[in-house]
Amino acid sequence: MQSSRLNYKNDLWIDWCPGCGDFGIVNAMVRAFQDLKLDPSNVVLVSGIGCSGKTPHYFNVTGVHTLHGRAIPFATGIKLANPQLTVIVNGGDGDLLGIGAGHFVAVGRRNIDITVILHDNQVYGLTKGQASPTLPRDLKTKALAKPNIQDAINPIALAIASGFTFVARGYAYWPEHLKELIKMAIEHKGTALVDVLQPCVTYNDIFVVDYYKDRVYKLENDPNWDPVVKENSKDEVQEKQAKALEKAREWGDRIPVGVFYRNPHVETFEERIAKFNPLYEQVPPVMQKIVGEDGVSPSITRDDFRRIFEASLVKVEKL
Amino acid sequence: MANDKVYLLIGGAQGSGIETTSYVLTAALARRGYGVLSNREYFSNIVGRHSYIQMAVSSEEIPRSHTFPVDFVGAIDAETVFTHYDDVREGGYLLYDKDTQNTRLIQIKSMESELAERLKERFQELGIELKLASLIDYLANNVGVKVIGLSYRAVLDKLRQKYGLGLAQLQRYRSSIPIGVVAGLMDLDIDSVVYGLSKRFAGRQKIVETNRFLVTEIMEEVKELYGSPLKLEKSKLDHDELLLVSGNDIVGMGKAVGGLRFQSYYPITPAADESLFLERYESLRADGESKGSMLIFQTEDEIAAITSAIGAALAGVRSSTTTSGPGFSLMAEGIGWAGMNEVPVVITIYQRGGPSTGLPTRGSQADMLFSIFAGHGEFAKIVISSGDHMEAFYDSIWAFNLAERYQTPVIHLLDKFLANSITTLPVPDFSSIRIERGKIILEADKGPFKRFDTSETISPRPVIGSGAITWYTGDEHDEYGHISEDPVNRDIMYEKRTVKKLELIDKEVPPEERVQLYGSTDADFLLVGWGMVKGPALDALRELEGEGIKGAYLSLRMLNPLPSEYVLGILEKFGQDKIIVAEHNIMAQAAQLIRMNTGFQIKKQVLKYNGRPIFKMELADAIKLLLEKKEGRVVLKYAK
Repeated sequence: MQSSRLNYKNDLWIDWCPGCGDFGIVNAMVRAFQDLKLDPSNVVLVSGIGCSGKTPHYFNVTGVHTLHGRAIPFATGIKLANPQLTVIVNGGDGDLLGIGAGHFVAVGRRNIDITVILHDNQVYGLTKGQASPTLPRDLKTKALAKPNIQDAINPIALAIASGFTFVARGYAYWPEHLKELIKMAIEHKGTALVDVLQPCVTYNDIFVVDYYKDRVYKLENDPNWDPVVKENSKDEVQEKQAKALEKAREWGDRIPVGVFYRNPHVETFEERIAKFNPLYEQVPPVMQKIVGEDGVSPSITRDDFRRIFEASLVKVEKL
Repeated sequence: MANDKVYLLIGGAQGSGIETTSYVLTAALARRGYGVLSNREYFSNIVGRHSYIQMAVSSEEIPRSHTFPVDFVGAIDAETVFTHYDDVREGGYLLYDKDTQNTRLIQIKSMESELAERLKERFQELGIELKLASLIDYLANNVGVKVIGLSYRAVLDKLRQKYGLGLAQLQRYRSSIPIGVVAGLMDLDIDSVVYGLSKRFAGRQKIVETNRFLVTEIMEEVKELYGSPLKLEKSKLDHDELLLVSGNDIVGMGKAVGGLRFQSYYPITPAADESLFLERYESLRADGESKGSMLIFQTEDEIAAITSAIGAALAGVRSSTTTSGPGFSLMAEGIGWAGMNEVPVVITIYQRGGPSTGLPTRGSQADMLFSIFAGHGEFAKIVISSGDHMEAFYDSIWAFNLAERYQTPVIHLLDKFLANSITTLPVPDFSSIRIERGKIILEADKGPFKRFDTSETISPRPVIGSGAITWYTGDEHDEYGHISEDPVNRDIMYEKRTVKKLELIDKEVPPEERVQLYGSTDADFLLVGWGMVKGPALDALRELEGEGIKGAYLSLRMLNPLPSEYVLGILEKFGQDKIIVAEHNIMAQAAQLIRMNTGFQIKKQVLKYNGRPIFKMELADAIKLLLEKKEGRVVLKYAK
């Protein structure tokens, strides 16, 4: 029962355009949840604005559809208040790399144990096809008045430079492969990015299925490709990151998908907090009692207060 | 003859240690049971610009306001003497460094040119040569100020001889010289000063010892030459312990007691110190035992601060973020989302002078209307304000209770005057503190849950992770939290989140908790204000009462929703001619708020917007002036 498809998917009508790459992402996520047998009440999907922002509504898990660009900090607050939750962010390229780019970088610095799924289609779909931060310069998708004059961000390279400890790219029309990437991302301890090439069938007439179908190839087909950090020496980390960055530049006749970089040895933010604050790890903040035995008074008594803030207390001695 | 109240001012360059001077003196005075209120004025600068502390000390009460002129000005540098030459009363005391007496006004490069120009003009009018020695002569001979000139170099040289300190180290002791002089003039015993030093320099015995030597030498000398004319009577305050807290500290303490588990912030003056204070107490350790963990989270910007705080609140913890005007401006969209999704999140704002960067280290009350209206669209939002440190403590807890009871963002509107004022406060009484979590559900049955159930204005709130599956969205939504643009649903949801919620708050929270009337409705006039105006207002009223003019003060505490009928009832008892509003802005925002809510127009206004606090004497004068008029506006100007 727990892992049946219906338990993760609800019956809301999905109002994406027929053929949208987002369907592939939803399918891959559902299958990943099934394989991992996640408890639906323990999974939180956090999204931003746009077509991808609607993703959480289609799942039978808790969904938080937030503000444009802000899915990551919302997810951060949820995860840090209750580290036992599985927290997944769904955001578009404009959302995560345009208006929300600062948060994308910041979450990498922290290595919070969340997964970020980037719906990457090079356009702002819901506002009718403007260029997004991943659309290369000089290209003119069909809604643009003239070719794009801004350069593109490379999400893989930016994630590695920002400190993400799991960086992968998937293709929305390869749901089985994408499912495996999402599973690895969820199971990875630390901030994980899955950049999903997700054709916008309505507004992107360049990066269409026909464009991708002969170009995408799986990194893991190369027996020499090893993106995983094993010893965690400084040299090894630098070498793996350098190779991932080099691979991230490959875009043209061949477009790699798969895992670019994975380092499971970096302390998560939650672990860093617990080092200074052991109770944080022992009892998640949300489980901590803030009300006293009587059910109405604060759990911190006046006497506790005096002892906690002793440094601010002056004992009066009148002469 | 002993005094019951003494006003002190000590100035020096930013970074020269006067904050320490203030702390040590305040702790020493608290040790002997005196009430102290110590404000700090400073530039947005790390080192070099003029800063000063202003202390009110009382043997009878915890002081609530400052006033001019003061009994003592202690100058660590020449700039302080030039800046504050007219702040000391006739017969008061001025401490200065004799080695600086040849300093010319023009040599003080750290002084802003506008002030230098004003001083030049004034000194020329008074026939004072633009040199410190000449100003000192004028103060001593023409004003009747008692000048205490010490050679700071000679004082420090004694330290060098005894302790072998290097030149750079010695300079740090300049700010200890006023401690010795004040201790002498007030006849403070050295043990109390050492107590203050030991609290400030815990574990650094050498520094305590060196200071003890310096302070003892100076205070003995001062007592011999001047006696102890500023000696206070034995304290009549009945406390066996006192908290020594800034506004930032006491708000942090309130939040800790209120059950804070997540606080986000982005560094900004004058709010960041609250988070830094809390971070020191993250583990809430009492004698080694951790009573909980608070996560104090420094974000990449204020947008992340508000949105991560909302995320934490959704997950079920008491969550807040702390900021000032510029940061709050960035939070508006997030607050709207919290309103739309009925999230209990607390935003603590310490107002400073705006707009834009404005006066980043000076105070203001110009963000009331912005706070009430921040965020596009319409949603219920609670805005409260505190009149002093003790209120700020209880209100920090109240804010969480209101947020959880009414499932809405609560803005706790404070200001720089509170943030940077250190006071001596009795340990709060805990007997009336309640933690009210409203309809929170920490453990629920597994499965989809109608988070926005419309059968009640306030819906049950299973937190994320409780077992319930819930949805949230900034879009208009149905009872499950799914997007809905249906017009019938829209009306129901819109009304639930706005007027129904506001009406419920208005009905349930007693007006007496939301506004506080000091004095009676048969007084000669009513002063209306909010926030930190309370202190100078009550003191000005007391002074006027001494002159036979009896006033009352109405302190607005819950600004939104305002208890309109209750407030109107009070205003109507006085009538338009007898009502004056006092606040730190130019638009008379409290008056506008009252007019908007009640239709009642307050026609007499006392306003101050130069970033400095309202002082008792200028407020009392303004009230007297306005009582004689039908309407009018007085802009308070006293400032350094």
